[in-house]
Amino acid sequence: MNHTLQMNLHQVEGALIRLLGLIERRGFAVTSMNAYTGEQHVEVTVDIHSAGRSVETLTRQIQKLYDVRSVACLTAAEAPAALGGSVAC
Amino acid sequence: MSSKGAELVVRALEQQGVEIIFGYPGGAIMPVYDALLNSSVKHILARHEQGAALAADAYARVTGRPGVCMATSGPGATNLVTGIANAFMDSVPLVVITGQVPTTVMGTDAFQEVDVFGITMPIVKHSFIVRRAEDIPKTIALAFQIAAEGRPGPVLVDLPKDIANAVPAHAPIYETRRPKRVVPDAAQVQAARELILGAQRPVLYGGGGIPIAGAVDAFRAYARASGIPVVTTLKGLGSVSTRDENFLGMLGMHGNRAANRAIQESDLLICVGARFDDRATGKLDGFAPKASVIHMDADPSEIGKLRFADAGLLGDLVESLAAMPTGLDIAPWQQWCAARKVEHAWRYDAPGDDIYVPHMLRRLTEEAPDVTIACDVGQHQMWVAQHCHFDRPEQHLTSAGLGTMGYGIPAGIGACLARPGARVVTVSGDGSIMMNIQELQTIKRYGLDLKILLVDNSSLGMVRQWQQLFHGERYSEVDLSDNPDFVEVARSFGIPAFRITRRDEVEGAIRRLLDTEGPLLAHVCIDPKSNVWPLVPPGQSNDVMMEELSA
Repeated sequence: MNHTLQMNLHQVEGALIRLLGLIERRGFAVTSMNAYTGEQHVEVTVDIHSAGRSVETLTRQIQKLYDVRSVACLTAAEAPAALGGSVAC
Repeated sequence: MSSKGAELVVRALEQQGVEIIFGYPGGAIMPVYDALLNSSVKHILARHEQGAALAADAYARVTGRPGVCMATSGPGATNLVTGIANAFMDSVPLVVITGQVPTTVMGTDAFQEVDVFGITMPIVKHSFIVRRAEDIPKTIALAFQIAAEGRPGPVLVDLPKDIANAVPAHAPIYETRRPKRVVPDAAQVQAARELILGAQRPVLYGGGGIPIAGAVDAFRAYARASGIPVVTTLKGLGSVSTRDENFLGMLGMHGNRAANRAIQESDLLICVGARFDDRATGKLDGFAPKASVIHMDADPSEIGKLRFADAGLLGDLVESLAAMPTGLDIAPWQQWCAARKVEHAWRYDAPGDDIYVPHMLRRLTEEAPDVTIACDVGQHQMWVAQHCHFDRPEQHLTSAGLGTMGYGIPAGIGACLARPGARVVTVSGDGSIMMNIQELQTIKRYGLDLKILLVDNSSLGMVRQWQQLFHGERYSEVDLSDNPDFVEVARSFGIPAFRITRRDEVEGAIRRLLDTEGPLLAHVCIDPKSNVWPLVPPGQSNDVMMEELSA
């Protein structure tokens, strides 16, 4: 599934890399991104793709980041993702 | 008089009520160590930074307050990484202070420079690089607040040496705000109530979030009032007493068969502060296949992450539990669970003269119900979880999420310092103990009353067991029969030690451990072929529990 996320971050050291690192680590590929730095905040828009992970869980994980002021998913809600087929070692 | 940045760090720690920190000095952190000399904060010198971080982790688990550890830049900082990851995976509040090279040379590959801020980004709840000395009070205060509130975790503060040496023009006192109390959504509470009232076969699935949220009493009260059978995760052990009649055992890969069968049969899973970890669920789509799910958690991103929640109760577990209905009509289900508990009760009548570790561990907690057990990682860890009794979760210190071999001795040290006078036993294995053996010197240095029960099967037992079962008995790098003489090792650190090899020596060894003052190591030699049973093979559902292979 492809999604577009729009986020507003505090402009502090590490905020952007922390956000992008989280997105990739949680199983999403960034296919396009745009960042605009204001005086105190950074507006970030990313297009992301994942084969099976839930974008709703991702947005909640992003929301938890201390430097994130807001996050919005600009694509429609999806059915709950099923991780049932995957197993850890 | 103005203070240097390093003095502001120490003052901020004092303001947080910090009594003990764990660490190891070095070049870039020297200003803070200098400031510590004038402070009431006691510093515990570990012999490796990993030992410091893991001891601080256990200190936090026992006290419920953030643990603090400190190291220098470069290798000091990288040695902390495993401890930080351990705290992250088990949601332990930890404040980690690292020295850094001066800001003027950061990014130039200076001596002992490493980007610990970048390295640790995936394993911290949050992190800071302090760029101005006047920001120190605020940064330290925020670090403590972030580490402790909501779902706890480690927070890193990277402190460049020039900032630690700088004298700011002004250094405002910073007070943190009170943590927000998140109340579960009323509609979700109502949905959960209806699910419980309509359930015929409900199970309470309790995790490590219960003690973290201070909800142990509330969880017990609800379990007792509702009569709903209880299973717990590894970290949830002790949330109800393991002696409680409603407690079926730990679920999961090495769980009790009664606990796993109850879960698989249930029509409603009430998940309280747990996260559907793969070691608990086995194959996810085969986990509790007939059950609806109520998920109570402080972390919004856990609800629905791995298993759809029919009702998600975000926020304070105490409030969520208090709102759940009692007076349920589930007697047939309670009877079925009680019968499974009897049917699958642990047996201790193993044949032979070899020491049977499950029985030894059960006897230890029968003789000393107040004991805190700091566990290492491997077969002995699972035996502790299966067979020891715990009245409170703080009595069981275990590296659950990360599975950090080497946790046991530092954790025992942290527990001894967190509760002076408490009875603490580290249960370790011959593989695990070697990962932080240097911390024996920390026990000696501070005269800690830590007992060590070292279970030695001359191999990496859990890996060997998997190679036996799942790799066609192709044993690869698991033979540790060239271990050192652990009794002599302990004695060389100034710690008394003795060895047992036969079953008839076990009772005497337990008495000796419990009756001796000061540190003592018992070296327990067992059959190298001992395995942990039952076992859900990796990738299988919890219906598939392997039992002991016939010899």
